[in-house]
Amino acid sequence: MTRATRSPRRRDRAGVPLALVPPALIGAAFLLLPTVALLIRMPWSGLRELYSDSNVSAALTLSLQTATAATIASLLFGVPLAWMLARLRFRGLGLIRAAVTMPLVLPPVVGGVSLFLALGRFGVVGRYLDRWFGFTLPFTKYGVVAAETFVAMPFLVITAEGAFRAADRRLEEAAATLGASRLTVFWRVTLPGIGPSLVAGTVLCWARALGEFGATITFNGSLPGKTEVMPTKISLALETSPEQAEALSLILIAIALVILAALREQWLRPAVSS
Amino acid sequence: MTELEPPTSGLVAAVEVERGAFRLDVEIRADPGEIVAVLGPNGAGKTTLLRVLAGLLPLAAGRIELGGAVLDDPTAGVFRDAARRRVGVVFQDYRLFPRMRIVDNVAFGPRSRGVPRAASRQLARHWLERLDIGELARRRPPQLSGGQAQRVALARALAAEPDLLLLDEPLAALDARTRATVQGELREHLTEFAGPTLFVTHDPLEALLLADRIVVLESGQVVQQGSPHDIAARPATDYVAKLVGVNLYAGAATSGRVELDGGGTIVIGDAELAGRALVAVRPSAITVHTTRPDHSSARNVWAGRIDALAPLGDRIRLSVSGTPSALVDVTAPAVTELGLTRGQDVWLATKATDLIAYPEPS
Repeated sequence: MTRATRSPRRRDRAGVPLALVPPALIGAAFLLLPTVALLIRMPWSGLRELYSDSNVSAALTLSLQTATAATIASLLFGVPLAWMLARLRFRGLGLIRAAVTMPLVLPPVVGGVSLFLALGRFGVVGRYLDRWFGFTLPFTKYGVVAAETFVAMPFLVITAEGAFRAADRRLEEAAATLGASRLTVFWRVTLPGIGPSLVAGTVLCWARALGEFGATITFNGSLPGKTEVMPTKISLALETSPEQAEALSLILIAIALVILAALREQWLRPAVSS
Repeated sequence: MTELEPPTSGLVAAVEVERGAFRLDVEIRADPGEIVAVLGPNGAGKTTLLRVLAGLLPLAAGRIELGGAVLDDPTAGVFRDAARRRVGVVFQDYRLFPRMRIVDNVAFGPRSRGVPRAASRQLARHWLERLDIGELARRRPPQLSGGQAQRVALARALAAEPDLLLLDEPLAALDARTRATVQGELREHLTEFAGPTLFVTHDPLEALLLADRIVVLESGQVVQQGSPHDIAARPATDYVAKLVGVNLYAGAATSGRVELDGGGTIVIGDAELAGRALVAVRPSAITVHTTRPDHSSARNVWAGRIDALAPLGDRIRLSVSGTPSALVDVTAPAVTELGLTRGQDVWLATKATDLIAYPEPS
């Protein structure tokens, strides 16, 4: 207690307790170091050759395609889901909320196994897809999209839900008095109102989908030109050609930097909402 | 509850809503072209009444009829929500859509009712022109002043072609200077609107200036209704008397002066005003002096005698007889300093810019 009564004075002068600074710097260094190391060890001169492997461009293309498809799927289903979580009250809402949080806390590998049990050829739902449509999801690029959506959608849902909760309901009332149907209100007032959060959530979702490894490889393997995406290719390349793994990582780092810059812009710009 | 008269083409409403311990029980009508003010203190149920009429809140009991159509009748199981009744609302905080251009804000109503985009914009431009704010079309709400935002909100409500227009504290969000200019225009625009208009306010001056008829609401009940003149002249309750504690003088205006009916002359700022006129002076806009103020910038100076002193909030309200008689609000320290007592002869002064003169509603 005596220490607590003495400390405010010191805090006033220093602004922050200086004892926190060293661990903070160590933490920051730890987060930054791997990226720096990668850049230092990068075989810059051999990059052209390393990238010329035709499987590289196939993996990159598939990565971008599936991540984008997973993001679109997340927007299509995740935004209404976020709206429901934020605005509706009914029995079983807690269960749905838990379902949304599940992929966030579940190890992605386990997510992949679960997906297999659900949507695999002999899965709970998958067997009917096979029986009725002759369609099997795993080990296809649609399977990649499914795995990525499973893991990435919660990021979008959680961001959008918070925004829907904070959105200005008064504007929705004003729109209703002007004769707008509920869907029009949602489309023209509510959704534009959460624009910045939606963009941030979408970017996060896309980034998560692009980087997804565990669920993807468990559910789809890593078949070059078919289901091999950048993270799975990097992981496999590390065993055969570490230099290629490094070179491929550089591409994902470049993409991550672009995303960071975009998000920073989004978060620094104050929302026009009052 | 008394029985309602047969339907007219205006608004006929019997409103009963309960919210916790609060109960709103009001019968209200507004004829086409009529401007009705619902005047009452905060917590009287004004906003609840507005929300019920707008369809943002359902009735507990009663019936709302507009233009002969039933909008809400719990007994009959009828409830048309806000989107399905043509009731325009100008909210106190305007609630313009912040990301849309002004023209799209105003076009929102027609668009929502199925008018194609181009035609909606055309309509919006027409309304903006009509309210003299055509030049704002391409701007966005955060770039507007309070007075401009208010006109845009009115244009947006009118562009949706409502059968009933509701306004929530239309002048409250404006600063004193803007109020003076906006109130005249607002009155004009409201008069042009063919349907019934109903606005709620806690400001008696706003009600006196804008309304054809005032309904005084207190604790969820109507305590008095009548023309602004009737309300001001014959307050039915203490509350109403305090509420309309505004000096209102009728007279004939010519070239910047109003010859009052009861004697005396008031110099007003507006040289254009002619014919029958009303002059409203807030008790706080009049100053009291023990000797004739020769160097005052006030254009109106007249003599009177203090009939009564009564505490009113943190001020003292003087009732002063003279030509004209006036209610004057002064601070307690001023009373002590000037040694004001009952029966004392004093000089009153008010600036032409501190009073509001306007044509007497016929």
